[in-house]
Amino acid sequence: MAEAKPHLNLAFIGHVDHGKSTTVGRMMFETGAVDPHVIDEYKKEASAKGKATFEFAWVMDSLKEERERGVTIDIAHQRFDTDKYYFTVVDCPGHRDFVKNMITGASQADAAVLIVAAPDGVMAQTREHVFLARTLGVNQLIVALNKMDATTPPYDEKRFNEVKEEVSKLLKMVGYKVDQVPFIPISAYEGDNLIKLSERTKWYKGSTLLAALNDLKLPEKPTKLPLRIPVQDVYTISGVGTVPVGRVETGIMKKNDKIVFQPAGVFGEVKSIEMHHEEVPEAYPGDNIGWNVRGVGKKDIRRGDVCGHPEKPPTVAKEFKAQIVVLQHPSAITAGYTPVFHCHTAQIACTITELLAKLDPRTGAVKEQNPTFIKAGDAAIVMVTPSKPMVIENVKEIPQLGRFAIRDMGLTIAAGMCMDVTPR
Amino acid sequence: MGDVAVRMRVMPESIEVDLAQIKEKIRGVIPPYTRLHAVEEMPVAFGLKALIVVAIMGDRAGGTEELESNIGKIPGVESVVVEEVGLL
Repeated sequence: MAEAKPHLNLAFIGHVDHGKSTTVGRMMFETGAVDPHVIDEYKKEASAKGKATFEFAWVMDSLKEERERGVTIDIAHQRFDTDKYYFTVVDCPGHRDFVKNMITGASQADAAVLIVAAPDGVMAQTREHVFLARTLGVNQLIVALNKMDATTPPYDEKRFNEVKEEVSKLLKMVGYKVDQVPFIPISAYEGDNLIKLSERTKWYKGSTLLAALNDLKLPEKPTKLPLRIPVQDVYTISGVGTVPVGRVETGIMKKNDKIVFQPAGVFGEVKSIEMHHEEVPEAYPGDNIGWNVRGVGKKDIRRGDVCGHPEKPPTVAKEFKAQIVVLQHPSAITAGYTPVFHCHTAQIACTITELLAKLDPRTGAVKEQNPTFIKAGDAAIVMVTPSKPMVIENVKEIPQLGRFAIRDMGLTIAAGMCMDVTPR
Repeated sequence: MGDVAVRMRVMPESIEVDLAQIKEKIRGVIPPYTRLHAVEEMPVAFGLKALIVVAIMGDRAGGTEELESNIGKIPGVESVVVEEVGLL
């Protein structure tokens, strides 16, 4: 039974036009996830045109049409199965303005496949996506160096090693253990090294993309971390009482638990928990729930508050240290800049009070201490003071509540993670 | 440039809000570069229901900002949260 297989959320990341969609489509096709009638149609068309060769672009187009035709709310991701796992796959948009959605979105990727076109090497979005993957807490990474058929000469080992070196530097900078990351030379278009090792890369001694996907580890749900449920909305329901709704990020909440909402500083007790209109005795990470609270009024708490247990309450920051990457900004960012930080369900104006260091995007080393400004493309360590009480956690302790997007002028200016918090 | 599917969770102001009416109004506020793909009611808790709204737009500047803001302004809507974005 396919449903009995363990499930992994997989994100395909990388620069636009480096072949993410083609690789996803190819994996769907090769693993048998493409509807058989699409293949039949294709065969008919191919034979009518007298073509013996495989036109993969045709399958890609048909796949897209198929998805758009189906009226399903699950259209934003695709699915394919290997013999070990079933994967839901998100092909990440390239435009920076979607970064905010990736940070605050619901489906946390368990692993990512970084696609880099071998002829081009590391490009701007490659850097951004690698940083984002790290920010989002994606610890398992596979690097596929695509378009090996288009290197000069084709399937060139030397070019593969050059780009591998370039990508390795980038990964080391953000803290990935490069010796644990597979680098696979592929051609999504030709199908090399996806399911079967290719005759055209005899110099390559590693595994296929499929095998690398099967080697991924199933991550543990963050049930052992302290309870954190960012409040999305709060309701008063007649006959029930106060009901906040939100998604459990970490920990477990049980009926009758004593709880606290921060920064509101309000204490209460869980009377009951419901999910999909059914009462559940406890709620786990990923669950979208409403919970009925005794001792808390609707006006006492609001969106952006975080629910936790009183013995390990959510941290309210007086200030925090963060590592950010500036994605876009019309001029330069200096100390005193006050954009809006989007962190879990909170949106709070915060002042960047100090620029502590600018980092070299190639090596990760400190390039400049106390720079006077940072601009698009820079990574930096900064100090931040929220304009009003805000819950944020050290990314090393509770990663789910340690990341944020910085927005200003309708743009996503930067993405970042909290490295240290000074509590209020 | 590809197309991006955006899945949003739209919450009503209260349990009494007529979701069918909100659905209708959502159709009227979709920006011109966006098309509505699906809207579904999803039970949450204690009789509360969310509307799951899926729209398709280009992988372009601006992202989901206008769409979120337009839906957020519909009377009876409490909040709009983008749950998932993915290229088609």
